[in-house]
Amino acid sequence: MSAVATEPLYPPTGEPASVNARRNRLGLWMCIASDITGSVALWISYLYLWSLNVNNGWAPPKNAFAPAWPFWAIFGGALVSTVLIWAAYKRLAAGHRGAFLGLATLGSLLILATFVADIVQLSTFPFGPGDGAYASVTFWMVLVVAFHLSLLSFLTLGITLRTRAGRITPENPSHARFVAMYMTWVTVSILIGAILTTALTTSTGTGGPAFGTFTSQGS
Amino acid sequence: MSETHVTPEVEEPEEPTNRPAPTRRMKEWFSRPYVRPIVIICAVITLAFIPFAWVVLYFMNGSGAPASPTMTEIEKTILVFTIVSGPLMAITLAVLLYSLLARGKGSWGRVHGEEPPMQDSPAIRTNSTAVIAWIAATSVLAAFLVVWGMIELATITKDSYGSIASVQGPNAPKPIDINVTGQQWVWTFQYPDQGNISADTLVVPINTPLYFNVTSVDVVHDFWIVELGVKIDANPGAVTNTGVTPTKLGTFNIRCAELCGLHHAYMETKIQVVTQDQFNNWVREMGGSRTA
Amino acid sequence: MSATLTAAAPPHVPQPKQHGKPGGFLRHTNIFTGLVTGIVLAALTYIIGSHWFVPWGTQNSTYNQVGFQALIMATFIAWVIGFMAGIGAFAGPIRWMLGHDLTHDDAEYMAGKHQGNWRYFKYTTDHKVVGIQYLVMTMVLFAVGGFLAMMIRTQLGVTWTSVFQPNFYNSIIGTHGIVMVIAMIIVVSGPLGNFIVPIMIGARDMAFPRLNALSFWLLFAAVPPLVANLFMGGIRDGWTVYQPLGAQAPIGMIGYQICIITFAFSTGIASVNLITTIVTMRARGMTWSRVPIFAIGILASSIMGLIWFPMFQFSQIFSMSDLALGTSFFLPTRGGSVWLYENIFWLLGHPEVYVIVVPASAALLELMVVYLRKPLFSYKLAIAGFAGVVGISSLVWVHHMYMTGFAPSVGYPFMLSTELISIPFGFIVLVMLGTIWRGKMWTRLPMLAVFALLFDKVVGGITGVYLSDVPVDQYMHGSMFVVAHFHYMLMGAGLFGAMGAIVYWFPKMTGRMFDEKIGQIGFWTAFLAFQVTFMSMFVAGLQGMPRRVMQFDSAFRVSNWISTIGAYCIVIGMLIFLYALVSSWRSGKVAPGNPWGSKSLEWQTSTPVPLDNFPVLPVVTEDLYNYGIPDPYIETEERLAQDDNEGVVV
Repeated sequence: MSAVATEPLYPPTGEPASVNARRNRLGLWMCIASDITGSVALWISYLYLWSLNVNNGWAPPKNAFAPAWPFWAIFGGALVSTVLIWAAYKRLAAGHRGAFLGLATLGSLLILATFVADIVQLSTFPFGPGDGAYASVTFWMVLVVAFHLSLLSFLTLGITLRTRAGRITPENPSHARFVAMYMTWVTVSILIGAILTTALTTSTGTGGPAFGTFTSQGS
Repeated sequence: MSETHVTPEVEEPEEPTNRPAPTRRMKEWFSRPYVRPIVIICAVITLAFIPFAWVVLYFMNGSGAPASPTMTEIEKTILVFTIVSGPLMAITLAVLLYSLLARGKGSWGRVHGEEPPMQDSPAIRTNSTAVIAWIAATSVLAAFLVVWGMIELATITKDSYGSIASVQGPNAPKPIDINVTGQQWVWTFQYPDQGNISADTLVVPINTPLYFNVTSVDVVHDFWIVELGVKIDANPGAVTNTGVTPTKLGTFNIRCAELCGLHHAYMETKIQVVTQDQFNNWVREMGGSRTA
Repeated sequence: MSATLTAAAPPHVPQPKQHGKPGGFLRHTNIFTGLVTGIVLAALTYIIGSHWFVPWGTQNSTYNQVGFQALIMATFIAWVIGFMAGIGAFAGPIRWMLGHDLTHDDAEYMAGKHQGNWRYFKYTTDHKVVGIQYLVMTMVLFAVGGFLAMMIRTQLGVTWTSVFQPNFYNSIIGTHGIVMVIAMIIVVSGPLGNFIVPIMIGARDMAFPRLNALSFWLLFAAVPPLVANLFMGGIRDGWTVYQPLGAQAPIGMIGYQICIITFAFSTGIASVNLITTIVTMRARGMTWSRVPIFAIGILASSIMGLIWFPMFQFSQIFSMSDLALGTSFFLPTRGGSVWLYENIFWLLGHPEVYVIVVPASAALLELMVVYLRKPLFSYKLAIAGFAGVVGISSLVWVHHMYMTGFAPSVGYPFMLSTELISIPFGFIVLVMLGTIWRGKMWTRLPMLAVFALLFDKVVGGITGVYLSDVPVDQYMHGSMFVVAHFHYMLMGAGLFGAMGAIVYWFPKMTGRMFDEKIGQIGFWTAFLAFQVTFMSMFVAGLQGMPRRVMQFDSAFRVSNWISTIGAYCIVIGMLIFLYALVSSWRSGKVAPGNPWGSKSLEWQTSTPVPLDNFPVLPVVTEDLYNYGIPDPYIETEERLAQDDNEGVVV
C-alpha cells in the first residue's frame, strides 16, 4: 500500500472507501448466504428424488444418464478462472496493475467459455427435461450453473474494464476481491453439483406404491 | 444502606447482601395495592378455562365424536391443553385489563390528550424474580406439553395399529385391511381380505382394528374420518398408512382435508360402524367373502 | 470517519467524470417508461414466441399444452425484464461495468433532489421515498386482498346457494391468500423498515441506496402477473399451491409463479440492504446494547427472510418448470415427489410467519416505551426472544406436514422444536407485559394497538400449541381451526400491530397527525368484529369443517353466518380506518418534529425529514430508553433491608 496522505474516498457520500468496502463485503456475504440456500434447494431435490425413486421414475429411459466428463470440465474451467482472478487480485493489491489486467482478461474469457460450454452441455444429454426426475433436476442444475457463470462473465468483464478505467486501483482493490470471493463460492457449488450428478446416478429406491389402482403410466 | 461491622464467626462470611429475607419481600410485594386485583383476575380467568375446555369439546362432539380410542385420547389432550393454557391468557388479560380499566388507589393511571405526559413511570428495567419465574414456568409448561404430546402420540399410534387391550387375546377380532384410494373427487375403499370388494362408503364392524393403506391416483388428498380422529394424506406415488379401532356404532363423516381441485368440497362420504353380523351380511351382499 | 454530509459535495472529495447531466439515463426513466417497455417486450415475446413455441408444444401428463405454458412463462419474464429495463434498473450495473461511477451529483439526483412529488414515480434511491412507495403499495395489496376476502366470506355466508363457480371460488381463496401473505411480509419492513430504520440508527440512507429502489420496483413488477392470474383461469390451488394439483392449473398459475420468483428477489435484496444498514451504519455511540428494539426486530426478520426465501423461490421455479418445461419434480407419474414440494415450500413457509409477526411485535415494543414513559422491561430478554424465535424457526417446518405421512417418526422431534419455540416467543410477551406493568399509559392509538396485538398473539399462540401436538393436529389439520389460528397470528397480531406502528410513525412520514378520533372507531370496530369472525371460525373448525370448501355440511351453517357478519363489520372498520389515514394524510393537522416526546433518534430530526436526514450525524451518549423515575418501591425495599440488618450478627 503506497503511503498516501488521505485514503481514497467514495465519491457519492465522501466517506472513506474502506467504509464503503466494508459494507459491500457484508452485502456480498448476505448474497452468498441466500445463494447457498437456493443451491441447497436444488441439492435437496436431487438427493430426495434419487432416494425415493417414485414409481421407478428416477432414471431416464434406458438408464441413459448424462456423461460425467462435461460436469468436471466445467468445474475445471470455473476452478482455473477463479484461480486466475485471485492471482490477478493479489498482483493488483501488490501494485501491479498490468499483471492484473492480463490475468483478469484471461480469467474473464475462460469463464465466458465455461458458460458457453455449460449451455452446450445440454446438447450432450441423451434425454430431455421431461424424461424423469433425474433428467429434471440435472437439467436445472445445469441451468443454475449457467446463470451463475453468466453472472460471473459479467462481473469479471466488469472488474477488467473498471481497472482499465482507473476505478479499481491498488489503493482501492475491493471490487476485484469481492468478485473473486463470489467466484470461489460458485466454484464450490459447481463442485458439489458435479459430485451429485456423477456419483449418485442409479437409484437405490424401491420406487412406487405397493397396491391398488395407482398406475405407473401417465393418467 | 447501613452496614453493620461485625466480625463474622464463621470462616466463610455470608454473601454480603442487604436485601430483606425473601418471605418478607414476598409479603411486601403482595401488599402493594395493584397486586391483589391482578392476582384475583388471574385466578378467575384460570378457573374459567376449566369449563371453557368442556365448551371446546362440546363443539367437537356435535356429530357423534368420540367414536374411537384415538379420538378419546385426542379429546383428552385438548382438554388438558386448554386448561394448562389458562394461566398464560389469565396473566395477559389481567395485566391488560388492570392497566386499561383500574381506577383509584394503587392503579397505574392513564393520561389522555394531545400532549406527551408530564411525568414518567417507574423505571423498571428488569426484575430477576419475574424473569426467572416466567422462564421457569413457561419452560415447565412447554416440557409438560411436549412430554404429554409425545406420550399421546405413542399411545394413539399404538391404538391405530390395534394393540389396545380390548382387541388383544385369542378371541380378538381379526384386523381388517382396507385400501383407500382418493381420486378427484371420490373415495374408493377396497377390502382385499374380504374378496376384494370395492365400495364408496366405508362399512366396518365395531371394535375391530382397521388398517388403512391410502394412496391417490392424481393429486394430494387428505383422508379424514372426522369423528374417529383419523387423518392421513393420500399422496400420488406413495402409500401411507394409519389405523383405528371404532368403538361406537353409528354413521360418521369422512371428508377430504386437502384442496384437490374443483369438487374438493364434495369429496365426502360416510363411514358406517356396524355390528359384526351386519358387517358380514354387507360383505356377502357386496359379493365378497370373509377370506380366512 | 467523516460525519458531515451536506447538500453540496465536500470540495476535497475527488469525483469521477460526470457522464451527461446528473442522473444520466435515469433522467429519462420513470414508471411510465417502465410500463411501456414492459408491455412492449412482453407483447413482442408473445407474438414472436407464438410462432416458435406453440407448434413445438407437446402435452404433458396433466393435459397441459406445454408449449403454450412455456410461451406464457416467457411473456411474463419479458414483462419483468422489460419493466425493470424501462425504469432504469440496468443503468447501475452497466455503469459499474464500464467504470462510469456515480458522482455526488448523480447520487443526489437519484435520491430525488429537486424533483418534487415526481420522484415517487421514478427509480429513486432515497429510503424515505421508497418507504412511502412501499406504504402505498401495501395499501393497494390489502385493498385487493380484502376485497377477495369479502367475496370468500360472502360465498361462505350465503349457504343456501352458490354465488361463484367452484373454480373461481378456489381461485379467490388462493389469490386472497398469497396477496395477503405478500402484503403482510412487507407491511412493516417495507414502509417502516425503509423509512424509519436508517433515521432511527442515525444514518443518512441505507447501505445500498440503489438496491432500495431495486427492491421496490421488483415488487411492483411482480404484482401484475399475480393479479393477471384472475383473468387467466386463476390459481385454484390455495396460496400454497400443492403439487401436483398445481400442474393441472390453467395458465394463470404461471403468473403466480413468476410473481413469487420476482418477489423473492425483491425481498432478498431488501433483506441484504436492511441487514447491512443496521450492522454497519449505526451512529457513533450506538453500541449493540443501545440499538432500538425495532431495529433488532427488523434485523432478525431480515436474516430469516434472506436465508429462507430462496426455498419458496425454487419451489415455484420447479413448479413452473413442471408446468412449462415438462419436467417432473413433483409429478409422481414420472419420478417426482409431492413430499419434495411440501418440504421445500414449508422450509420457507414457517420462517415466513415469523418474518410477518416479528417486525410488528418489535415495532410495538419500540413505541410502547414512549407511551408508557418507562424503559423497556428487560431489553436483553427481548433480544433473546427474537434471537430464539429466529433461530428455532428454521427447525420447525415439518409441523405443517404432520399428516402427510412422509416420515411418521419425525413427528416427535418437530413437536419438540415447535414447543421449544414457544419459550422465546413467551419472552416477547413477558417484555410487553413487564413494560405495561405499573406504567402510566398515554392512551393513544399506537399504545392501545399493543393491547390488540397482545391479546390476539396469546390466542394465536395457545391455538398454535394445539396444532403443534400431533394427535390434536390429526383432528385439526386441514380444518377451519387452522385458518382461524393463522388469522389470529398474522392478522390479529401482525396487521393490527402494523396499523398501530404506522399510526405511530405517521407524523414523521407524512408530516401530519393521524386523526385518532375516527381512526380509533375504525380500529376498534375492526378489532371487535375480528374476534367475532375468527372465534366463530374456530368453532367451525372444531365441528369438523374442512378448509377451502365452498359448500359444506349444514352443521357448520351457523358458525359461517356469524363469521360472515363479522367479516362485513371488519370491512366497515377497516374502511373507516382507511378514511382516517387518507384524510389525515391529505389535510390532517401539521405535525411537529416530535409529537410523542420520544428520545429515539428519528424523532430528533425535523419533519419533513431533510434529504440527508440529519444536518449533523448524531452521536449517541445514552440509552435511548432512558425514561422513567426511580421506582418508589425501591425505597420500601431499602427500608426493609435496614430493619432487617440492624443488629444482625452474620
